[in-house]
Amino acid sequence: MPPQVVNKLGSNHFGGGFVRVRLFAIAGAAALAIGVAACGDSNKSGGSGSKNLTVYSSLPLQGASRVQNLAVISGAKLRLSQAGGKVGEFPVSYKSLDDSTASAGTWDPGQVSKNARTAAQDTSTIAYIGEFNSGASAVSIPILNQAGILTVSPSNTAVGLTSSGPGADKGEPAKYYPTGKRTYVRVVPRDTIQGAALATLMKQDGCKSVFILNDKGVYGAGLAKVVEGQATKQGIKVDGNEGIDPKASNYRSQAAQIKSDCFLFSGTTDQNGVQVYKDVAAANPTAKLYGPDGVAEAAFTNPAKGGIPASLAPRVKVTVATLDPKSYPAAGQKVLSDLAGGSGKTPDPYAIYGYAAMDLVLKSIKDAGSKGNDRQAVIDQAFKIQGYRSVLGTYSIDANGDTSLTDYGIYTINNGQLKFDKAIKAQSN
Amino acid sequence: MEAASVPAPSAGSRPLDAARGFLQRWGLIVVLLILPVWFGIQDLSNDGNLVRLGNNLMAGLSNGAIIALIALGYTLVYGIIELINFAHGDVFMLGSFVAFQFWNVVLGIGLGSSVPAIVLGLLLSMLVAMIVCATLNVMIERVGYRPLRNAPKLAPLITAVGFSFILQNVGLLWLGGSPRSVDDLIKAQDTVFTFVGISVSRADLLAFGVTIPLVIALTTFVARSRLGRAMRATAQDPEAAKLMGINVDTTIALTFLLGGLLAGAAGLVSALYQTNVWFFSGFQAGLLAFTAAVMGGIGNLRGAVLGALIIGCIGQISDNRFGGEWTAAVVFGYLVLVMVFRPQGLIGEETREAG
Repeated sequence: MPPQVVNKLGSNHFGGGFVRVRLFAIAGAAALAIGVAACGDSNKSGGSGSKNLTVYSSLPLQGASRVQNLAVISGAKLRLSQAGGKVGEFPVSYKSLDDSTASAGTWDPGQVSKNARTAAQDTSTIAYIGEFNSGASAVSIPILNQAGILTVSPSNTAVGLTSSGPGADKGEPAKYYPTGKRTYVRVVPRDTIQGAALATLMKQDGCKSVFILNDKGVYGAGLAKVVEGQATKQGIKVDGNEGIDPKASNYRSQAAQIKSDCFLFSGTTDQNGVQVYKDVAAANPTAKLYGPDGVAEAAFTNPAKGGIPASLAPRVKVTVATLDPKSYPAAGQKVLSDLAGGSGKTPDPYAIYGYAAMDLVLKSIKDAGSKGNDRQAVIDQAFKIQGYRSVLGTYSIDANGDTSLTDYGIYTINNGQLKFDKAIKAQSN
Repeated sequence: MEAASVPAPSAGSRPLDAARGFLQRWGLIVVLLILPVWFGIQDLSNDGNLVRLGNNLMAGLSNGAIIALIALGYTLVYGIIELINFAHGDVFMLGSFVAFQFWNVVLGIGLGSSVPAIVLGLLLSMLVAMIVCATLNVMIERVGYRPLRNAPKLAPLITAVGFSFILQNVGLLWLGGSPRSVDDLIKAQDTVFTFVGISVSRADLLAFGVTIPLVIALTTFVARSRLGRAMRATAQDPEAAKLMGINVDTTIALTFLLGGLLAGAAGLVSALYQTNVWFFSGFQAGLLAFTAAVMGGIGNLRGAVLGALIIGCIGQISDNRFGGEWTAAVVFGYLVLVMVFRPQGLIGEETREAG
C-alpha cells in the first residue's frame, strides 16, 4: 500500500475523529450492556415474578440411559397432571430438554450448559429437574445457582455435589455454588450410602478382596473412593482402585492384573461398562462382579440391547436406590400402577423418582404460598422439607440438599432384566 | 561453504561430539527398550520370572497386528500420493460394522450356531467387508482425491478430513453413539496353549492368522508383481512413470483398493478381537495406525508393521502397569522420543521427499 494512502486512512482528521466516535460508541454500548446485566442480576434474586411458571427437565434422551429418562419424564408429567397443571394461583407448565447428543451417546457438557442457560434465561422458570448424571450436574448447578433456580435431581448420587468428605474432591461442593447459597436438592441417597451398601453386600457375599475400576468421572471416581474407604472399614482388602480410558477398545491388560475374588466397576454403562465386565470376567472367571446404579439399565443387563452376555449375568449384582414396588408406601405403589396404565408391565424404577422430583418442586411452590413465583422463596421451602410423607417414603431434606432416605435395593440379572433381590440398609460411619 | 571457513573442531567439543554420536547411535534403542527392561527387572525381582512381561508383549503383538493392517493403508497412500488419508480409520470402522452386521443380521450367526457355520460365516463376512471397504476406498479416491491431484496439498487433506466425518456419521446413524457389544463367537480370551508360561489366546491367533498372510501377500505383491512395480515407480516419480507408459490414475486407485482390502480384514478381526464395534473406533485406531506408520517411517511397509507392533506392545505394557488412563500419553511420549532420535522413523521414510 502506498504511504500516502496509509496517511489518508490513519492520520486524516476525519478518519481519526471517526475512529474516536466509534470507540466512544462501543464503550457506551458496553457500559449499557453491563448496566442491563446488573439490573438483570438484581431482578433475578427476587425470583421469576411471572404468573405462569415453568419447570424444565434436562435429561439424556439418547444413548444407554434413554429408557430410564423417558420413565423419569413420564413420572414427572403424571405428578403435574395430577396437580391439574396448577399450584395455587400459579399455572405450571413443563418443558423437557435433552442433555445428550447422538454422537456422544450420552450427556454432553456443551448441551448441558446450553440447557441450563435456556432455563436461566427464561423468566418463567421456577425449577429445573436434572441432571440424570452427576457429571452433568457439576456443569449445570453453577449456572442455575447464579440464576437462583431450584434444581432437583432424580438420580444424582455423587457425594461432592452436596457435601465434602470421603468421595468428594478438593473444592467440592463449594465450587458448584458461586453465590454461596444452596439451590440443589436430590431425592436419591448420595454415594456415601451406596458405597456403604456395596461394601456391606460384598462382605455378606464373603468377599476377601476387591479390585475397583472407575470411569474417572465425577460419579465413578467419587463412588470408587467411598467404596474403597467403606470396604477397608469392613475388613475387605482393596487391591486396587484404577481409572479406565472409556474410549479404549478393550481392558484386557488392566483386567489381567486383577486377582481379587470380587470386582466392582464404578461408572456408567455408556463409559464402556459392558466391555469392562466382559474383559474382567474372562480374565478372572471366578470373581464375583458388582455394579452401582450407573449400570442398572437395559443397555447393560440385556444382551439383545448390547448388554453383557447372558453367561455373565449370574455373577453380577447391582445396587440401585430403587426398591421392590411392594416396599414403597401405598401412595408409591399407586403411582407405579398408574404409570403402568393397566398394561400389567412394571414401569422402569426411575419413573417414581421423576414423580418424586416433580412432587418436591410442586410442594415447594405450594409451601411458598403467595410467593410461589419467587425463586428464592421456593428454594427456601425445598430446604425446609422435614418428615415429608412422599411416594418414596418419609424423608427430610438437610442443609446440604440431601435426602434422609437410606434404603438401597440389591438387584440380580434375570433374562436380561434387573430383578429385585433384597433391600439393604447401609449407614455410612 | 568454503573449506577455509569451516572452524576446526576444538579439543573441548570432542567429548560432547562423542556423546552426541553415542546418543544418535544407541539412544533410540535405549528409548525403545527402557520400558520392557525396567519392568522385566521388576518382574524378575518380584516374581522370579518374566511371565507377566511375556503376556504383556503377546497381547501387545496381537493388538499391534490389527493396528498394522490399518497402518499399511496409511503408509501405502502416503507413499504414493503423499496424502494423509484421514478417512482410512473410518473405512476400517465401517469394515467392522459391515462384517458384524453381515454375520449377525444377514447370516444370522450367533452364539448358538455350529462351529462350521461360524467359521464359514466369518470367512464370508471377511470377504464381504474387504470388498465393501476396498470399493469405498476407491470411490473416495475417485470422487474426492483424483480431481484434486494438482491442487495445493491442503485441499485433498481437508477433503480427507471431510470424508472422515462423513463416514463417522454414517457409522453413528447405523449403530448409534454407544459401543455395540458383539457376541464373542470365537471365545476370544480362551487360552489355546501356553508357551514358557505365556498364554496364547484365540484372539491372538486370529490376529496373527489374518495379519501375517495378508502382510506377506501385500509385500510380495508390491515387490514382485508388475502392478507392484508400477506402484513403486509412481511413488518415486509419477511424471517419469507416466512417460514410461504406466497409468498413474489406475495405479493410485489400486493402492486405495489394497488399503481398503486390508482395512476390511482389520474390521472383522477387530470386531471379533475386541468384541465390540463403535463409530468412534476408526478415529482412535486410525490415530494409532498413523502414529505407527510415522514411527516406522512413513511410506515404508515394513516400517508400518514394525511401528504398529511396537505401539501395540507399549500400549499393553502401559495398560497393565500404569493403568489405561495413561496409555495414550505413554504411546505418544514414545513417538516423540523416536522422532527426536530418528526423525525419518525407525526404518526410514520411502517418499519422494525423503528420496
